[in-house]
Amino acid sequence: MSEEFLDPTDSVAVPRRTAPRPASLDGKVITLLDISKAKGDHLLDRIEELLRERHRPKAILRRKKPTFARPAPEDLRALILKETEVLVEGLAD
Amino acid sequence: MDPAGDPFEILYARGVTDGLPVVPPTRERVAAAVAAAGRPSDALVALVPPNFGRATVEKIAVNAVMAGCRPEYMPVVIAGVEAMCDDAFDLHGVSATTNSAAPLFIVNGPIRTRLEINAGAGVFGPGHRANATIGRALRLIVRNLGGAAAGGITMSTMAHPGYFTYCIAEREEESPWPPLSVRQGFAAGDSTVSVFAGYAPQVVYDHQSHRGEDLLVTLVNSLAVMSHHKSTHHGDTLLVVSPEHAQLLAGDGWDPDRMRVFLWERLRKPVKDLIPGVNGGEGLPARVLAKFPDPSTDETLIAKVREPQNFKFLVAGGTAGRFTAVVAGWTFSKMSRMVTRRIDVH
Repeated sequence: MSEEFLDPTDSVAVPRRTAPRPASLDGKVITLLDISKAKGDHLLDRIEELLRERHRPKAILRRKKPTFARPAPEDLRALILKETEVLVEGLAD
Repeated sequence: MDPAGDPFEILYARGVTDGLPVVPPTRERVAAAVAAAGRPSDALVALVPPNFGRATVEKIAVNAVMAGCRPEYMPVVIAGVEAMCDDAFDLHGVSATTNSAAPLFIVNGPIRTRLEINAGAGVFGPGHRANATIGRALRLIVRNLGGAAAGGITMSTMAHPGYFTYCIAEREEESPWPPLSVRQGFAAGDSTVSVFAGYAPQVVYDHQSHRGEDLLVTLVNSLAVMSHHKSTHHGDTLLVVSPEHAQLLAGDGWDPDRMRVFLWERLRKPVKDLIPGVNGGEGLPARVLAKFPDPSTDETLIAKVREPQNFKFLVAGGTAGRFTAVVAGWTFSKMSRMVTRRIDVH
């Protein structure tokens, strides 16, 4: 009987998968993305300190979304994809 | 009956409902809804945030059938999808926030009477198929095509009953003012749907005011507690005025343009009354407070609602009773704006 019902979801959409986790952060370019929530920078400052203490990344880049209420603009997404290997997105409040 | 063969149990188990039973979307029912849309079944109406699922006419029809819509409601549902997927509405943010705003759909124009969309007594309540099922269809579309299911992407801490269905019409015949659709830039006689990111209605009781200005002062003091008594920077804010209140206001010469300036001015508060930790922990954000060297004595007025134009008015509800419903919007004024679309009637 269930086959008689049409699907209300977008079955064309492919479920998104997370990228494979890196085995090590050494030598990697890491981006810390501030989503513009209050005190997100405090959280990411501390994460940057810990990353530098515990790993040897090639670089740590800081980027920021214009607002937390909307998705990151296309050009920011393209920039992050181009320049980084590991992304940490920071929320706070 | 064996639950394994019960359509209601099957559809609930698929995770595509709002928890209430849905009408099984059989091929015949969906075909009738598609036919009433007057557009090809594979025509793309919008991509629905936050997951940007494809809202084709057929997918909209499947959800409308499940919600209990009659086929002739389809043009309203389609215009509702177009409106809520407009970038200015920011359905992404509305769906994902911890705040409690749901898309409220407001119908104007001749289609209200043709489809019997209730604008009168109990306007936010049950008992009217068009209101109940058009609003529900749009919620199911947000869930099933946008991916905003409770406990997943939808992070609202409280939500409210309008998350099931939230659809009203304006009682244009009882309004002394031009309808909302005309103030939103559409022609008189157009049928439209407007979408507004609304909290639950806060119904303000005022039976003793005999002057329009007295009623507006009551409304100011009721609006002052939106979010909390010291919140600022609100954006679009809706007032659903009952016919009796509208008559009182219009009789004293008040129209939406004058009212919004009065409300906006009276809702401002001085910096000294908005200091966090004094009369409640909330108050101005640190970055705003930093602009004032001595906040405790500063009389600079800060707006509760960013601009007078953020106030939206419509007349609805029963002809007996002096009430106005305040519907607070999603707090972040630059995020979600009211969006209106014309309904293509076939």
